[in-house]
Amino acid sequence: MAAIEVDGVSRTFRSRPGLFKRRTIEVEALRDVSFSIEAGELFGLLGPNGAGKTTTIKILTTLLLPTSGSARVLGFDPASQPTKVRPLIGYVFGGDRGLYDRLSGLDNLGYFADVYRVPVRSKAARIDELLELVGLRGRERERVETYSRGMKQRLHIARGLLHDPPVLFLDEPTIGLDPVGARELRETVATLRDAGKTILLTTHYMFEADALCGRVAVIAGGRIVAQGTPSLLKAGIADRTVIEVEAYGVDDAALDRIRALEGVSAVTVEARDQAQAILVQSRLGAQLIQPLLNLLDGVSVSSVTAREPTLEDAYVELVGRE
Amino acid sequence: MIRAFASGLRVHLVQLLRSPFDIIGMLVWPIIFASIAYYLIGVDGSPGLLLSASLGAAVMMMWSQVIVGSGFALDNQRIQGTLELLVAAPVPLAVLFAPIMIASAMFGLYGLLVTLVWGRFAFGIPFRIDDPVAFAAATGSSIVAIGLLGMIAASTFVLYRAAFYLGVALQYPVYIACGLIVPFSVLPGWLDPISWLLAPTWGLRGLREAALGGDPWPDIGVCLLLSAAYFVIAVPCLWGFERLARGRATLKLA
Repeated sequence: MAAIEVDGVSRTFRSRPGLFKRRTIEVEALRDVSFSIEAGELFGLLGPNGAGKTTTIKILTTLLLPTSGSARVLGFDPASQPTKVRPLIGYVFGGDRGLYDRLSGLDNLGYFADVYRVPVRSKAARIDELLELVGLRGRERERVETYSRGMKQRLHIARGLLHDPPVLFLDEPTIGLDPVGARELRETVATLRDAGKTILLTTHYMFEADALCGRVAVIAGGRIVAQGTPSLLKAGIADRTVIEVEAYGVDDAALDRIRALEGVSAVTVEARDQAQAILVQSRLGAQLIQPLLNLLDGVSVSSVTAREPTLEDAYVELVGRE
Repeated sequence: MIRAFASGLRVHLVQLLRSPFDIIGMLVWPIIFASIAYYLIGVDGSPGLLLSASLGAAVMMMWSQVIVGSGFALDNQRIQGTLELLVAAPVPLAVLFAPIMIASAMFGLYGLLVTLVWGRFAFGIPFRIDDPVAFAAATGSSIVAIGLLGMIAASTFVLYRAAFYLGVALQYPVYIACGLIVPFSVLPGWLDPISWLLAPTWGLRGLREAALGGDPWPDIGVCLLLSAAYFVIAVPCLWGFERLARGRATLKLA
């Protein structure tokens, strides 16, 4: 039996702004979403902001009801059996919210240990063990408001693990962390995966998903657009080459000309300090370099490289189709 | 559940005691309330009447702290993202909300002390308690009853982000209906049944009887009975509003 099953789940948000002549605005956050996660698996849900990742997690953690469809967490329905699901799950979200800032880290963990029914005999040892796991030992008596974002995030992880839940939901846990903090947190997540926890991780950092997840699903516009192993997703664009052009002052008109170039399947732009990195996906390989440079005539180009596609490129292709 | 309740009480009290805004409010409000009560009674009022007015001001403080302070506290839970974690916890929400309400009412204890001290030094109101044990029991039962009355209103805070304003609006009608500002004798008779259902009425009566010499125990008993009734009403209200909040996605601020 799968640890987590999501079957045809949809969720529509309705709002009625204004005081007079109120009209109803509907946003379809999830549209017929289905996937399943085996026990002990680390599954990644990838997607851009607003794609429906957090909505999915909220439904599975009993915080939100689906408009239609059903879900199961360890055999229980989060919509109709929330009291059965809640003791079995841990929920950690990104950012620095979700903690009592005026209390110490230790007081936060102590309170949530009582709220999550950690047996009184093992409470102190459990908190100590988790402080060690997340690297906060020695800082636990300081007020949370004095913690860095990374420390708060690690405290979140400790809080989510207090009752040793078999299923963990990690909603963009590395968002806003510095590279070192994010790497340490990924190591913690890998440790939890190796310890046999079932984990649903949402992220929009592809390298994170590639490094940690056994399987991933890409969600865009509320729909699952692809799912499988990271290798399988990459294989979908294995016949392509990614040409990376680092340049200065490329305008929208030039980008449109590149997009219109024969053989180009996707174009994205990243800011790199003062420069722009233009990532062009194509089946033509290195042959495309010269036509590309011709189109960028008059633009200062500092480097051009061709490489094999990564999971991020596969993601860009999948999300770009939506 | 008892552990979650006790731990919650401690955590929320510490949160309140570390908030400069709440501390300043707590210093200023009782002085204003006690002064208004004093001038309403008049400088030539009997010492008993003046002490009674001081106690009325203290109960007003408790109610305000519960209905506004706890609304503010729950709004803060939503803003800081802990409301979702409390809702997702395996312990029933009523067990997690009750300490927030009771901690707010306990904070009103501080208001009681400030009111009595201010009355003594600013207006010469005698600070004499006839039966200290009964006074302590009346204080405790008032705190619990007023806290749990606030919990019924707080159940709406889970669903509505602006329910904080409902708390603000409920402050003054309860002051009047419970005889905290003016005596019952000047209020219309139809308000009596309403006042009997409200804990501040019996809380004030218990405190007054214990301080001025009388039998406060029936009033303390009513406070405890009302506490049980409020809890029984609050639990399904919280459950229902939690379900609605999960349906309407109002647990989170943004």
